[in-house]
Amino acid sequence: MINYLWENLFKKREDIALKILSGNILFQDLNSSELKIVSDFLHLRHYRPAELIFRQNEIGVGMYIILKGRVDILIESDEASKTDNEDFITRLEEGDFMGELSLIEENSRRTASARAINETTVLGFFQPDLKNLLQSHPEIGSRVLLRLSQVLGRRLSETATKITELKKQIKIIKA
Amino acid sequence: MNILIQQIRLKKIERLKLLIFLSIIIAGLVILLTVENMLLSFLLAFVLKYTLSPLINYSERQGVKRSHATLLVFILFFTIISAVIYWALPYISVQLKAFHAELPRYIEGTRSLIFDIESKVEEIINTSVEFNLSAQAENLMLTWTKSVFEDLPNFLSKSLTTLLLAPFFAYFLLKDSQTISKKLLDLVPNSFFELVLSLQHQINEQMGQFIRARLLEASIVGLIVWAGLSIIDFPYSHLLALFAALTNLIPYIGPIIGAIPAIIIAMINGAGLLAVIGIYAFAQLIDMLFIIPLVVAKIVDLHPITVVISIIIGAQLMGVVGMLVSIPAASMIKVTIQSVYHHLINFRA
Repeated sequence: MINYLWENLFKKREDIALKILSGNILFQDLNSSELKIVSDFLHLRHYRPAELIFRQNEIGVGMYIILKGRVDILIESDEASKTDNEDFITRLEEGDFMGELSLIEENSRRTASARAINETTVLGFFQPDLKNLLQSHPEIGSRVLLRLSQVLGRRLSETATKITELKKQIKIIKA
Repeated sequence: MNILIQQIRLKKIERLKLLIFLSIIIAGLVILLTVENMLLSFLLAFVLKYTLSPLINYSERQGVKRSHATLLVFILFFTIISAVIYWALPYISVQLKAFHAELPRYIEGTRSLIFDIESKVEEIINTSVEFNLSAQAENLMLTWTKSVFEDLPNFLSKSLTTLLLAPFFAYFLLKDSQTISKKLLDLVPNSFFELVLSLQHQINEQMGQFIRARLLEASIVGLIVWAGLSIIDFPYSHLLALFAALTNLIPYIGPIIGAIPAIIIAMINGAGLLAVIGIYAFAQLIDMLFIIPLVVAKIVDLHPITVVISIIIGAQLMGVVGMLVSIPAASMIKVTIQSVYHHLINFRA
């Protein structure tokens, strides 16, 4: 009986994880058996309310996908050196992901902090896992990598557009 | 205020988790160090794991399931090892018996060689002080060879447990490496998770490269010595090649120790000394010119003082096996300390 309950509980959690993974842009090209292979490389982590998932300026080695709960993305405010103030940037929910740049960049520092709002469960996908996936299943790994490059390319393009906008605004203000 | 209280509570929980995690690691280490044969079995299992993992990863890349690939590679590896042992054992056994029979002559020869050198040194420095090195060397050799030949059967029967346990552990370390690593990482507190994951990966990579490079280097040196000694029809070529390969695992002084028996035999027999020196020098030349730059250069490097200290500690703790194990163990400690230091300096903001 206990075994039956445990297996069902575990199976349910695994199903949710696979469902969220299949909806994630990085893994959307993979079929269910490939998703199962990828899920073996991921790490399930639990965070309590107010617990930091990662801290700004620390070296990060990977990304997190939210399975359950909500996460606030915060950056240290200008007065942070004096007080413990943090500026709120955005709130992420189930299915969202964060820290994807650290999956590629060597010794990349987190540009913001992530704090769990309530009981939160995330799936962690880190550089060593990506390397292992590429080594053992290169075809799956390269598809994930391609999608990751597209995400990072889009972010770069968005940032470039923002910089152009800001430059225009500065010109207008100066004029 | 509410967040502050929550954070204080979280810090307490994290500390407790860290304590539990460290206690588990310490308990594991205590079991490894206190249970007979456990440490050596695990060390050998890791050597096997790192040696065979590229083949298993390759099979997995070709679409073979990891469990099947592990079984296949294991069967293939042990078939080859059994075939090599089956082929080499009669030769080694014959050479071992012949060497045992000839041993008194070699001991006497070595004694008179040292005596000659001693007399010449005494003549040159014209001293009345008696070194008496030859007698001491003779005693040392008699005790050493007696203990080697008398303890060999006992040592082999004792090693049987290790020889059975090591492949057993290695099989599961290879087949379930991902699951084992994930289960262990599950125990790590959240605030240390990325650090420990990164550290574990780095140590794993470096140890794998180190063990594979050293084994390849030792095998090539052993093969060159064996081929060279066989060509000049030198006695005990199998035994001497095996000895040269094993001692080559010890950096810096290993190759010298490996060449000494062959040089002494050549000097006592009065034949082939130059050829023997040439063969050992050629093997080291190939090692220095090709193997070290191509394979070994990238792996962890130990300072000669560290090597000597590690070998002495290894010999004190576990005898000859300890000497061989000491270098990978010292390298692992060095990689761990380096990585922890790097992480402590760079990981935190």
